[in-house]
Amino acid sequence: MILVYFLLLLLFVMKEQDKKKIILLLRWGAIIVTSYLILLGRGKVADPNLSHLLVLGYIISNLVLTFCPSSWLLNPKFFYPLVLGDTGIILLGMYLSEKMVTDFYLAFFLIIIFASLSRSFKLLMFIGGATSLLYGFLLYSWGLLISPEGSSYALRIPFIFIMTAFYGYLVQTLTREKHKELSISEDKYRGLFENANEGIIILKDPSLQIADVNREAEKTTQYPKEELLGIEIFYLFGAEENEKAKSYLKEVMGKGEGRVDDLPLRKRDGTFFEADLSIKRIGLGEESFFQMIFRDITEKRKLERKIIESKRNLEAIFDGIGDQLSIQSPDFEILQVNKSVIERHATTFTGLNGRKCYEAYYQKTSPCEGCPLLVTIETRQPASAILKFPEAERVQEIFSYPVSDEKGKLLYLIEYVKDVTEEQRLQEQLIQSEKLAGIGILASGVAHEINNPLSGIIGMAEVALEEEDPTKNRGYLTDILTCGQRIGEIVNGLRSYSRTAKRGDLGATDLHEVLETSLKMVQLATQSVSVEVIKNFQPVEKIKANPGEIQQVFTNLITNAFQAMNGKKGRLILSSRSLKDFVEIKVSDSGVGIPPQYLNQIFDPFFTTKKMGEGTGLGLNIVYRIVTKYEGTIEVASTEGVGTTFTIKFPKWRQGL
Amino acid sequence: MSKRILIVDDEEVIRKFLKIHLDKLGYEVTEAEDGEKAIEKIGRGDKFDLIICDVMMPNKNGWEVLKEVKSNPELNGIPIILLTAKNDDVDIFKGYELGANYYITKPFTKDQLLYGLKLMF
Repeated sequence: MILVYFLLLLLFVMKEQDKKKIILLLRWGAIIVTSYLILLGRGKVADPNLSHLLVLGYIISNLVLTFCPSSWLLNPKFFYPLVLGDTGIILLGMYLSEKMVTDFYLAFFLIIIFASLSRSFKLLMFIGGATSLLYGFLLYSWGLLISPEGSSYALRIPFIFIMTAFYGYLVQTLTREKHKELSISEDKYRGLFENANEGIIILKDPSLQIADVNREAEKTTQYPKEELLGIEIFYLFGAEENEKAKSYLKEVMGKGEGRVDDLPLRKRDGTFFEADLSIKRIGLGEESFFQMIFRDITEKRKLERKIIESKRNLEAIFDGIGDQLSIQSPDFEILQVNKSVIERHATTFTGLNGRKCYEAYYQKTSPCEGCPLLVTIETRQPASAILKFPEAERVQEIFSYPVSDEKGKLLYLIEYVKDVTEEQRLQEQLIQSEKLAGIGILASGVAHEINNPLSGIIGMAEVALEEEDPTKNRGYLTDILTCGQRIGEIVNGLRSYSRTAKRGDLGATDLHEVLETSLKMVQLATQSVSVEVIKNFQPVEKIKANPGEIQQVFTNLITNAFQAMNGKKGRLILSSRSLKDFVEIKVSDSGVGIPPQYLNQIFDPFFTTKKMGEGTGLGLNIVYRIVTKYEGTIEVASTEGVGTTFTIKFPKWRQGL
Repeated sequence: MSKRILIVDDEEVIRKFLKIHLDKLGYEVTEAEDGEKAIEKIGRGDKFDLIICDVMMPNKNGWEVLKEVKSNPELNGIPIILLTAKNDDVDIFKGYELGANYYITKPFTKDQLLYGLKLMF
């Protein structure tokens, strides 16, 4: 008896493994006691074999418990069948036993029910103890303890406690393991909480005092944890936003969760940061908290504002551009246009959106001929072209730019349309007036040239008139004739020059022919007898141009070359050659050269180093305009005292362009 | 002794009719077909009483002949008539500035030549 109680006391102080052993020891003891009780009740038991079966069941149940792994005890699939099995055995015992046995089993049965319901070991032990005592008291009051079988009755009292301890142990193990699991998941939660990239503040419900903060929250707010704990969350919202924060938090408390991104939070230094915060009610055990997760979005907001601002600026620029800009898909669908487009076509954006540009802008059924967008689609490169729209009496310079993704796939086309009608008209006018001025200068040069043979004619005629010897007159008349013929040649040259100049239409232009005419004309006009002219002509393709304008180019360049040689001995080299896509013409002189500081100004309008009356200052500017008009290029290389070379390249004439 | 006149012009026909006119008037005429040859002839020591000189010529032009003669103290007394197709005011003024004594523009008549000669002698 005393030993049994001693063992029970040991249970409270022993280690886990030992506990299991003691418990099992006690249980084995209980089985022996049961067997003894049944044997004791022999004769009263209806079927002795069944009572043996009962003891056997208990022995098996105990064997299973002895050798099962500890984890089985945690498994409800094992624990509940065990309880059911035990209950069944006890019910069988009740069936088999008489009253004195039945009450014992009833008490035991209650213990099992308590054990299943209660998770508290201490409570269970208390109940077990109370039940044993009550049972002992009942036995005593029934006078059974002093009956002849009194010792067997007395044994039942510790037995009840043994079984209580057994189930208590099971329950305790189970609870502890659950607790262990919980603490593992709490560690995990703690890890997440502390290492989260977002600030987390746990608030008590409903006081809204800070119960916990994570590292990120400390970092973001600059407050150490100990300063935050216990204070009300409103403190972090600052005085100005307090009302707003209160109403927001009130709403959250009502709904259980909420999100807000326009409540700035306060830092320790008194400054505020913009935060995106969400609050949610969470239950931890029996208590309820609010979990406030927030992120400092000051930088993000700044970025957003910057993006919005730059978008607004871009839109202002886009709309402010006086030329027409549209963004189109690679199949010419209008996606976006600026204000100029809308004004120019007197429509609205919806009137243009999604339509093909050639339909919406030019009332055509297919892309315009020569449209640079076609080039950009093919080459993925910017392109430009000047297109004439005779029906609208407009000339437009169209630039197209590709917008591609990082893989090079064409996403959009930007079409920039500049109305150059007026500019073209003025340019034509300028070219025309420079041509007239040039012809004027040339004409006065040619007039000088005519004066020489004319002087000869007049002089010789006067001699002939005075001559009395008719035989001599023949010689004088021959001289007069020669002079007349020379004048005729000059006039013819002038005529061929003006003939080329008059051919105003675009056509296949033979550069050699134009070079020759220009050279002849300039030679006549400048009487530069001392200049040696070398022609290095290779066969070259024709170009598509207005011959008159090309003549203007060459006349200007050759005149400049002669002037650079300043009537002194010199050499003019005219050369031509055919390149891959271009025809190249070079005009080189051995003149004074251009000072380096002027080289980048020579094509500027009205830039001249010549005296008044010698040049308009427009010559090279016009040359530049004409060359670029035909998509050609002009370059200059010059060394002072050595000479100057102008290199012009014109695209070859391709049929169909 | 008759006066000696140097005619400088690259146009043969002009030299030819000038010589005919001047011969008839009794002058002793020497011809040069460009500025360089003219300077040669003047430098050789031939004493000329008048030079009639074209402006636009190869090698040395009329301006250069004018400058050389007028800058030489031994020669600068020789009167020079410029004979040229350059009839712009700028050219005429330039001629006088460089020391030309008279300026005849082409084309000209015999009378214009005679008037010039009269002014010189």
